[in-house]
Amino acid sequence: MNDALIGIDVGGTYTDGVLFSDGSVVHSVKHRTDEDDLEGTLLLILDDLLAHRRAKDVRRIVLSTTLVTNLLATGRGERTALILLPGKGLPNSAYDISPDTYFLKGWIDFRGRQIEAPDPKEIEDTLKKIHASGIERIAIAGKFSNRNDSHEKMLKKTAESLYPHMDVCTSNEISGRLNFPRRAVTCYYTAMTVRDWNRFADDMEAAIRARAPHCELHILKADGGTTTLAASRKRPCETVFSGPAASTMGTLALSREELNAVSIDIGGTTSDISLLIEGQPLYASRGALIAGHLTHVSSFAVSSIPLGGDSAVYTTDGKLEIGPMRLGPAACFGGEVPTVTDAFNIMNALGLGNAQASHAALSRVAQGLQVPLDSLCRSIAGEVVERLAQSIKDMFRLWEDEPAYKVWEVVHKREFHLHQVIGIGAAAPAVVPMLAERMKVPHFLHRLSPVANALGAAVARPTLAVEVHVDTGRETYSGSPGGLSGKVDKRNYQLKDARELAQACLKQVCADRGLADYADDAQIYSEEQFNVIRGWEQEGKLFDIGIQISPGFIREFKGVEN
Amino acid sequence: MKTTGVIFFPAFDWAISPTHPEREERLLYTRDQLFEEGIMDMPGVTEYHPRLATEKDVSRVHFCVPDIESRVTTAHMVSAGCALVMADAFMNKEVRNAFAIIRPPGHHAMTVVHGNRGFCDINNEAVMVEYLRRTYGVKRLAIVDTDVHHGDGTQEIFWHDPDVLFISFHQDGRTLYPGSGFVEEMGGPLAYGTTINIPMAPKTTDEGIHYIMDNLVMPILDEFKPEIVINSAGQDNHYSDPLANMSFTAQGYAVLNQKLKPDIAVLEGGYSIETALPYVNMGIIMAMAGIDFSNLQEPDYDPSRFKESSRNRAYIKSLVEHQLAAFRGREAVVDKHRKEGREFWGSSRSIFYDTEYLQEEQRLDLRMCPTCCGFRRISSGCAHRSGRNYSVECIAIPAACCPDCVSRGLEEYSSLKKKKSGDHIYLQDRVNDDYRTFESKAGEETVV
Repeated sequence: MNDALIGIDVGGTYTDGVLFSDGSVVHSVKHRTDEDDLEGTLLLILDDLLAHRRAKDVRRIVLSTTLVTNLLATGRGERTALILLPGKGLPNSAYDISPDTYFLKGWIDFRGRQIEAPDPKEIEDTLKKIHASGIERIAIAGKFSNRNDSHEKMLKKTAESLYPHMDVCTSNEISGRLNFPRRAVTCYYTAMTVRDWNRFADDMEAAIRARAPHCELHILKADGGTTTLAASRKRPCETVFSGPAASTMGTLALSREELNAVSIDIGGTTSDISLLIEGQPLYASRGALIAGHLTHVSSFAVSSIPLGGDSAVYTTDGKLEIGPMRLGPAACFGGEVPTVTDAFNIMNALGLGNAQASHAALSRVAQGLQVPLDSLCRSIAGEVVERLAQSIKDMFRLWEDEPAYKVWEVVHKREFHLHQVIGIGAAAPAVVPMLAERMKVPHFLHRLSPVANALGAAVARPTLAVEVHVDTGRETYSGSPGGLSGKVDKRNYQLKDARELAQACLKQVCADRGLADYADDAQIYSEEQFNVIRGWEQEGKLFDIGIQISPGFIREFKGVEN
Repeated sequence: MKTTGVIFFPAFDWAISPTHPEREERLLYTRDQLFEEGIMDMPGVTEYHPRLATEKDVSRVHFCVPDIESRVTTAHMVSAGCALVMADAFMNKEVRNAFAIIRPPGHHAMTVVHGNRGFCDINNEAVMVEYLRRTYGVKRLAIVDTDVHHGDGTQEIFWHDPDVLFISFHQDGRTLYPGSGFVEEMGGPLAYGTTINIPMAPKTTDEGIHYIMDNLVMPILDEFKPEIVINSAGQDNHYSDPLANMSFTAQGYAVLNQKLKPDIAVLEGGYSIETALPYVNMGIIMAMAGIDFSNLQEPDYDPSRFKESSRNRAYIKSLVEHQLAAFRGREAVVDKHRKEGREFWGSSRSIFYDTEYLQEEQRLDLRMCPTCCGFRRISSGCAHRSGRNYSVECIAIPAACCPDCVSRGLEEYSSLKKKKSGDHIYLQDRVNDDYRTFESKAGEETVV
């Protein structure tokens, strides 16, 4: 029976893998990540897992990797030219994205009308210059190309016919959302990483096919959903920040309740906080921030605080200090310096590692401050909990204070009512119970929380968002992802027609990406309808419909026993 | 680095009626343009979240008949609330200046509110001014109304207030709603000269408006020395506006804001929703945030299209000279009025509410106080759309009133209550931040 699922999450320090079958984690492994050989690390883990189940019983393997994140964060991506068609508006100096940026003629407005045509001669000259400087990757982005992609398409066609060896990528294929700079950046990053990603994809596909020829191969995305390896080849950027997404999906997989919760991953040096709203992870409203630029990549909103279990405890000028630096592991685990974990270890008699060492290390600090050891531990714990609680509240406020554009949204102001604190990460068992008490809600810890990330990857379902913009006055529609466009009939077009169109588009994209089984899970998440009035007459209507398969779990996943 | 605060509240779920200029679609293309440009992501710009104004915020300015709840739509309460969000951000030094891109607008709403006038229920800038005074102790402010329509509501609200300089330039009232804003409208007897009107001939261009900015508006502001400058930022001077006839451009608007350097700008009118608003709003944000706007223009912009006529140039020049002299002579006029030794200064007028076709009859009596700006008593009557005829009495005690005016105003309110004259008797006591309504029939008083 091929019911086994494998999830592997490559982290900065460690790579985790789980083999999940029949409602339980059959096996889990952890290895140090070799940054220079991610494929090697992945296969090491995979082989370890496959030793516990026949390869033909594995239905799906999901990988969460840091390849693209690292390429972009370290600036190791290859030189890429960015061609912008910004029309009029912000000055060209506003687009500080690529050192090889070219501004070309071509102007489209918000209704998708061409104001100024591109200049074929200028295009050819620019491409020649790019070619002459040895660049082989080109990103093309036009303002309002999401409403009319003809300029981008024309440029791409010209580039591909003149220089077939180049990787050319257009922004409307990547995203159909408003925000030209974010589209340009996302397109630029895509063009920059697409070749490296495909090389990696080729290798992984070959390696995995050799081991498990029939299993599905998916990649975890920043939005907590998976995509097929094949579909990821055009959109490598979606794979950034999949680590925190894996953790959050893992927490959800373990708690399985549609609550308002805080998921807090307390690691050695940092704590990552994310919010779950009625069981749905909160997205970063402005898109993922990659290497200093906002993008159109959907990712979870994660707040990272420089405070973790290994944060050092010390004194300066007779004052107690906690973190932010780490000076090695906790004293109870053989470290030289007392840490946050040591304080909780003593205070709550957790019996972690060598408790005597916790005692000895913190006693020295207590003597320095001339306070009893137990009161020192209480102050440390109190301070840690207070800082975490404050950061959590800041996140609530961030969500509550998102801009609102309708009267209804202002009158029904959002308020975050917390139900639960979910802890994961090594130091969570020490800190989370007290934190939850401080926030006056129950806490949730699961024995599998150390491998929550890999489990999250193993059981996450595919996600997909499709957005359609219909302009009946112009009798057109356009949509994302990937240059969806066509004609609509102006006469008597209604909201329900726009909904049906969005649904049809989603089905089509699902089919193209090998996700046909999941198309029925899609739900409409945003809807706008405007009458276009000129003079006192209705000239047409504008609709914006968003439909998505939101983050969730594949159907066969029914939870894990604690 | 301090940023420019922007609140964008397009009220996508509110319209006066489906085909009205003040409809859901009005800021749709502005949204598209601002979001596509990604200007809210720029390091010099911070976006804010709207909030509702409270009844107290509104009561500091208006007498809503019979009450706020039945007179003011929720959309207007949010719109005014947005202006307050910007005021807080500015006063708390979170931002260096702020722009509220909001609808519905407010500058035609007057002190007494029987209904909607010129698309406005309540006056967003006035509500913000009184909030700034009450919350932050701001005293002297200037409002420059750059809407093509005369800001008659704002003018009326601050007509007797010598600490609020109101300057409005607009298309001549003989050719456009609301048919006011003439040169001789200079303010009440004790606040003469702090209302300045600049009626412009139709078709006036960037050049004409900038002449006015450079030679009248900026010199007056320099001399008045306000603590805060507010731009009541209508965008219907634009050449493409369907409700007016001027020839201003997006560049012109951006330069205007670069010169004026408003601390807070609040969107008013502007109904060329595709050709003007997306570009003018971009221009104002860019100017306020110090972003180079030389690359900004409308799709159909042609720099050679609009030329100022020599006749209009001469008219503007004489207008500017006249108004500058009138402003500089204001103190002598106020002195003269005070020395007349009158107890009260009375006036009567009719006010037309175009949106709802209401006609209000109003009598105003200002106490000619020897030391302060005086308290006011307003008697107002109007038949509402419901068929009901309201006759109300209002006592307004400005924040700058002397103790004598405060006690006399309160006495007047008590005696009106006793006499039960009028259906409703209102008290607006800004000195004590106390706002009351007395319903004569029921004999009940409510405190806001």
